[in-house]
Amino acid sequence: MSGETPGYIGFGEYSQHVPHSIPSAVKQATDRFVGTRAARVAEIDQWEELRQIGSDIRQHTLENLDRYLETLEARVTEAGGQVHWASSAEDARQAVLQIARDRQVRSVVKAKSMATEEIGLNHALEAAGIRTLETDLGEYIIQLAGMGPSHIIVPAVHLKKEEIAALFREKLGVDAPADPVELTRIARERLRHEFLTADMGISGANFLVAETGTLVMVTNEGNGRMCTTLPDLHVAVVGIDKVVPDWESLTVLLKLLSRSATGQKITTYTQFITGPRRAEGESGPKEFHLVLLDNGRSRILADPVGRQVFKCIRCGACANVCPVYKNVGGYAYGWFISGPIGAILSPQMLDTQVARELPYASTLCGACAEVCPVKIPIPTILRHLRHRMAQGDEFGSPALPAPVGAAARMTSLALSRSWIYRLGTRLLPFATALLRRDGWLKTLPYPLSRWTSVRPLPAFGARFRQWWKARVRSENG
Amino acid sequence: MPNPILENIRRSLERSGQSGSIPLPTVLPARQAGEFDAETGLFMEELRKIGGAAQCLPAGGVSEALRMLVGTEAIHKAVLWRTPGLLELHIPEILEETGVTLVPAGAAPSSLAECDLGITEADFALPETGSLGLFSSPEKPRAVSLLPRIHLAIVRPQAFRPDLHQVFAEARRQPYLVLITGPSRTSDIELTLTLGVHGPQKLVAWIIEEE
Repeated sequence: MSGETPGYIGFGEYSQHVPHSIPSAVKQATDRFVGTRAARVAEIDQWEELRQIGSDIRQHTLENLDRYLETLEARVTEAGGQVHWASSAEDARQAVLQIARDRQVRSVVKAKSMATEEIGLNHALEAAGIRTLETDLGEYIIQLAGMGPSHIIVPAVHLKKEEIAALFREKLGVDAPADPVELTRIARERLRHEFLTADMGISGANFLVAETGTLVMVTNEGNGRMCTTLPDLHVAVVGIDKVVPDWESLTVLLKLLSRSATGQKITTYTQFITGPRRAEGESGPKEFHLVLLDNGRSRILADPVGRQVFKCIRCGACANVCPVYKNVGGYAYGWFISGPIGAILSPQMLDTQVARELPYASTLCGACAEVCPVKIPIPTILRHLRHRMAQGDEFGSPALPAPVGAAARMTSLALSRSWIYRLGTRLLPFATALLRRDGWLKTLPYPLSRWTSVRPLPAFGARFRQWWKARVRSENG
Repeated sequence: MPNPILENIRRSLERSGQSGSIPLPTVLPARQAGEFDAETGLFMEELRKIGGAAQCLPAGGVSEALRMLVGTEAIHKAVLWRTPGLLELHIPEILEETGVTLVPAGAAPSSLAECDLGITEADFALPETGSLGLFSSPEKPRAVSLLPRIHLAIVRPQAFRPDLHQVFAEARRQPYLVLITGPSRTSDIELTLTLGVHGPQKLVAWIIEEE
């Protein structure tokens, strides 16, 4: 959910109580995007080559991040923009608030941005008495409803048109029919007025091109263009991982992004903004500020496995194919980023204790890694983080509750010594004999009851090794 | 003054011991342009697929097409870029003859927002995606392609580029570029496609044929 940094992400607890509206709506959205993505990918002969190049570009950039950030800062400054470095979320919030206060800003229009969700900027602005409006239609709707996004690309997908109409009637005081076209028209009119009167526009960025200091952002609705064209002041909050070396690299990443995200060949509006407007009489903001957000990223770069999470270009394709995400939706992941990428990002950015459940919010099926346009080995990183949670490593202390840790160690012991394993397979059928009903184990004592409360476990019976030997014998005839 | 974030990055990269292992890769070669008719055909086909309107016109046909557009779309107010190409086609005169009020390109955004029609002249056209590329300058205000209900882009044959690579090679030194591909769209409410959420509801591209 949006807002403050979470205290503890109870993925398991949440997933027990997912509201009914979430899985069906989220699945509808993910199925749509999976289909359109597949169609666009099939049109490109060299998709796999493109992915490999995209992956190499991102990896190369991370390994030379200091150099590219230096170039970026120099070019943005040369173009007349101002760069603000923010080590923490608090630094970033203060930087934005300072800019706003110095210029007596009273109202802000925002384009969808994950970085501002990450730092909880809306709360900080509102607390300072600055009216802050999300302008992406989906974001606008969930802001009115006081909710967080359930899906990265269609954040309000869990709400039915009837619910949105009721929301508009209540919050906007207008007669709103339950019709997507009419509802969109109402939002357009409302927001049009806001765009024209706002003192400041806030955006994120999809990419920052180091060689020229250019901010690249894509939107379909045009709200991103409004926020960065109409107010006299444009502030962009961007993670330091968004840097791209040059425009040639950008061609590759743009082609990968829109196809993977929405299944479009290219997003409706792609803007390339280098500094503020140059001439009087030109449209565009007079001032351009770039807040570069670290918030733990530079620390995570020390871990060669974990840092690959920063290759991410935020397309959401991994979430769309994830069987776990489809069933729980975005809220379960407890922070600004959800799905498989959230499951490997949040545990690294937050304390291991806070997000210790997330690396387990996966079946390790590997579908995410197969669709990732920049080839992030998500299952590998999930296992890397599971290891950290269980045993700790040089980047984080162990965080699993003692009984779970003990069970994991016992399992590891049993599976690494064949005699214990063999003994177990002989003993388990006897140990569970009293609980067996019609070949199933329908109720087991806590903590195993957490499994059997949802589905029965097949009774232990056949012994794999015996079965396998028999099978080999029969095949060899 | 040392920058603590850059210092941290350097420390981390050094500690990981895996810096500089991958060089910046060479990208795939750019798409080659086809015959001009094939390129314009592809451009129009792609633009139509995503809800835009496109046609080829001789320079002499602009007047009639514009009159028709003004009539069918009930256009009362319009704003246009102050580029030589649009003047050569006598677009301001034609609009005035049809009774359309011309709002100056340098007018306040609130005035531009009242326009039914915004006319630009594309700096680039990309056939593969049906995209238009527009720069920004006092003569080419960004808001003209954004605020009016309908965006009409005049596309000269010289604007065609085969691929993003060629566009970027020319645009990378410009302070602003926007690539526009179809009308403004959203699927945020129940995944129902709706055009014209914030930007223009209609996008019309006229490719002006060489005489």
